[in-house]
Amino acid sequence: MSNPDFSPVTVIGGGIAGTTSAIALARHGLPVTLIDEQPTAGGQIFRAPSPYARQTVPPNHEFSGGDALRHKLTASSVDVRFSTRAWGLSPTLALDLIGPDGIDQLPPSTVVVANGATERFLPFQGWTTPRITGLAGASILMRNGGTLPGQTVVVAGSGPLLFSVAHQVLELGGKVAAIVDAGHRSDWLRLGAMLSLDPARLTQATSWMLRLRKAGIPIHHRAHISAVQETETGLLLNVSEMDHPERRHVYASEAAACGYGLKPSTLITRTAGVQHRHDPVGGYLEPVTDLAGRTCRPDLYVTGDAAGIRGMAVARLRGLITAHAIAQDRSVISGETYETLTRAPLRQLRRLEAVSRRMLPLMNAGSAIPAHLQDETIVCRCERVKAATLRSAIKAGAEDLNQLKAWTRCGMGPCQGRMCEDSARGLLMAVCGKTSEDAGSFTARMPFFPLPLTAVTGTFAYSDIPLPKAAPL
Amino acid sequence: MTPALQSRPDVFDTVIVGAGVMGATTALFLARGGQKVALVDREDMFRAASGVNAGTLTLHMTRAQLIPHAIRGREMWLDSATWLGEDVGAIATPGLSMAFTEAEEELLRQRAQVRQDMGAPIEVVSPEEAIQIEPGVNPAIRAAAYCALDGHIPTYRVGAAYARALRQAGVTIIENSPVETITPATGGGYDIRISNRVQPVQGRRIVLSTGAWLEKMLGWLGYNIPIRCLINQLVVTETLPPVMGSVLSIANGLLSLKQFANGSVLIGGGWQGEGNIHQGGTRVIPENLRGNVRLAQYVVPRLDEAQILRVWLGLESETPDAMPLIGALTPDDDAFVVGCVHSGFTSGPYMGRLLAERILGGNPDLSPFDPTRFSSLAATGTRS
Ligand SMILES: Cc1cc2nc3c(=O)[nH]c(=O)nc-3n(C[C@H](O)[C@H](O)[C@H](O)COP(=O)(O)OP(=O)(O)OC[C@H]3O[C@@H](n4cnc5c(N)ncnc54)[C@H](O)[C@@H]3O)c2cc1C
Repeated sequence: MSNPDFSPVTVIGGGIAGTTSAIALARHGLPVTLIDEQPTAGGQIFRAPSPYARQTVPPNHEFSGGDALRHKLTASSVDVRFSTRAWGLSPTLALDLIGPDGIDQLPPSTVVVANGATERFLPFQGWTTPRITGLAGASILMRNGGTLPGQTVVVAGSGPLLFSVAHQVLELGGKVAAIVDAGHRSDWLRLGAMLSLDPARLTQATSWMLRLRKAGIPIHHRAHISAVQETETGLLLNVSEMDHPERRHVYASEAAACGYGLKPSTLITRTAGVQHRHDPVGGYLEPVTDLAGRTCRPDLYVTGDAAGIRGMAVARLRGLITAHAIAQDRSVISGETYETLTRAPLRQLRRLEAVSRRMLPLMNAGSAIPAHLQDETIVCRCERVKAATLRSAIKAGAEDLNQLKAWTRCGMGPCQGRMCEDSARGLLMAVCGKTSEDAGSFTARMPFFPLPLTAVTGTFAYSDIPLPKAAPL
Repeated sequence: MTPALQSRPDVFDTVIVGAGVMGATTALFLARGGQKVALVDREDMFRAASGVNAGTLTLHMTRAQLIPHAIRGREMWLDSATWLGEDVGAIATPGLSMAFTEAEEELLRQRAQVRQDMGAPIEVVSPEEAIQIEPGVNPAIRAAAYCALDGHIPTYRVGAAYARALRQAGVTIIENSPVETITPATGGGYDIRISNRVQPVQGRRIVLSTGAWLEKMLGWLGYNIPIRCLINQLVVTETLPPVMGSVLSIANGLLSLKQFANGSVLIGGGWQGEGNIHQGGTRVIPENLRGNVRLAQYVVPRLDEAQILRVWLGLESETPDAMPLIGALTPDDDAFVVGCVHSGFTSGPYMGRLLAERILGGNPDLSPFDPTRFSSLAATGTRS
């Protein structure tokens, strides 16, 4: 074994994967810094509830699991930097941050990207009204804020979050007008059959489904919201069936929550030049990693849902395994110790992964929707680009996502295409028959989110500006 | 040239390698002049310098000797509806170059003078006059050079307009096709080999317009001209209420600043990032980001309200004497180059049109840009 290397490790993202990884790295004696934009650790699932939510939301596994994780983190030697966001990552792995004290750059270190998932959204006519939120956003509002998005809610999209959100609405005393799922009923049944491998998920799913059934909520499978109108009191939603377009349903509600599954957040890994691939089952781009989260870039690891959507149980295991792998790569532990430490987690991981992969087609059930977007529908909210504009640019020769962006501004706005990229890619594939690989993805650029200009400039005098040599005459 | 090649319908009159503003404009005017033209690019067209530049149509920044060309290029952009078939949104504004120190003021007067001599309508004005023209500037200015002919263009709109115009003119567009070698064909003309095609594209004539990638290609034709690759940084803000109406720069040329119609402000000026011709821009240098943005905020203090939306890097090319390469590479007049033009987006349409005119038998004065000026080898027109 060569000399152990105890140089610093930086973990981006304090969700289950990142926090677990940071704690395990610290146990190996490595100096670890954990960065998260939230004021505390927990990420999406284990996010710390507000004091109000602690009173109103019934006690649940997410609260207790999150509290336990935060407790372990506090007891560890991990250096935490909360309310801090990464806005740039250089190829040397120097990390640009902005936090309560302004901007800062961490010198190059080993970086573990654990920044989780982003919800996929697919547009429909009228979707930009504020009464429509994402499923993930609605879940945070209810679980961590204790607040309903509306007294009656239509829950639409795809994937397990549909049922979780519907259940949360009921829990807070709201009414679910309908559940609109892009997936096949038979896919859910097949998933159900597999859940015996994952008893925790099975128990949860069963209790949700019983409760939803008891409430008599209409559930449409292979359906989606095709248009929405605002009324004085709320929304009027048109629901279409994918296989029977002539069958239409109309629901009234105060609000709607809509999301089409999760995809890895790849802005950071794409900027770092890591190799990515399209997962055809998940319908998303993911960084290419080995089981332990190693990428093609030495010293850069990706773990948790950022490496492909597998859910929280797998995220914890992945975080752990990544930490052990780093310890081994650094010669802090031997190959043998690595084997011993990872034997049980790897076994568990394989079992749970089978279930998680079964979820992917259910999350990606809306993949055919973008092809049928109505011309008038806004696809890119930031730049207000409509489907018709994209279609005509594609026909005029913009046959990859970056050319489409250049010609139409789709994806040029503050969200960097997080909202519109999937629909723009879907349109490209439908109009000119490209594969998702050929359609590509938007070039990722820093800053990862809009940055106050004064955070970069700070206080200065004119004479502080280092002016390079003048341009030629 | 053998009759066989002359009469073969699959052979292009001219194959243009590099579909930025230089190559695409040359292609457009050649096709309109009756030629059968192919335009080849390693990526989609207008994705390199011509798709990511700052879109400043200024006479303050361009090299003094290129002022007449820049004036004509700027006019073409403002008039794009007539020759490109679409108004791409170029806007005429005044331009102000500013000085904040004594040394800058001296430089400002010197630069204004040489530009005036080349025909730019530039005059040095007092701080009060400058503030009247552009109320948003820092009152600490000592002097400003005012030019009535300035402006800007939303670069991203140009590529789509060219694509349409080129197709209408009958140009064969071959995208995502890196040219790997160019060799003289038996019987005259050239074989242009593309990495993803078995058969070469054949042309009686070639035009090299590959911007920062010209050095290697010129080497294939026996030219040895070192071409420097600049890695220019640009910063764009989120949309803001109006904070300026003109194009602003400072005397040493290290700032270009303007607000587009949609409200976003673009900050440039040639601050450098890291990168190379193989990987493109690879890293924003934090000190250079800070320096560039500080300069912008100093010049227009209200930028303190702005949010930085994106930072990117683009590749610009420069010859040893910072003057363009435009003209014939062979005595047979069957190979040409156009590129390395300082502030080349402004003058690009005019430069491309001049070269097309030259190829079609006209006689525009391209002598200051003669590519053979660097190399004794080239004077003999050696074809490798
Ligand atoms: C960040 C930045 C800001 C700028 N700002 C301004 C400004 O405000 N005003 C202004 O007037 N000018 C500006 N410029 C300069 C201007 O953009 C350039 O002078 C001009 O666009 C150059 O055009 P071009 O056609 O010569 O080169 P390019 O646009 O670079 O085109 C070259 C083409 O060749 C292709 N190519 C390369 N190798 C191969 C190969 N092997 N096979 C096939 N194709 C190949 C490339 O893909 C590319 O499309 C700026 C430049 C940069 C980088």
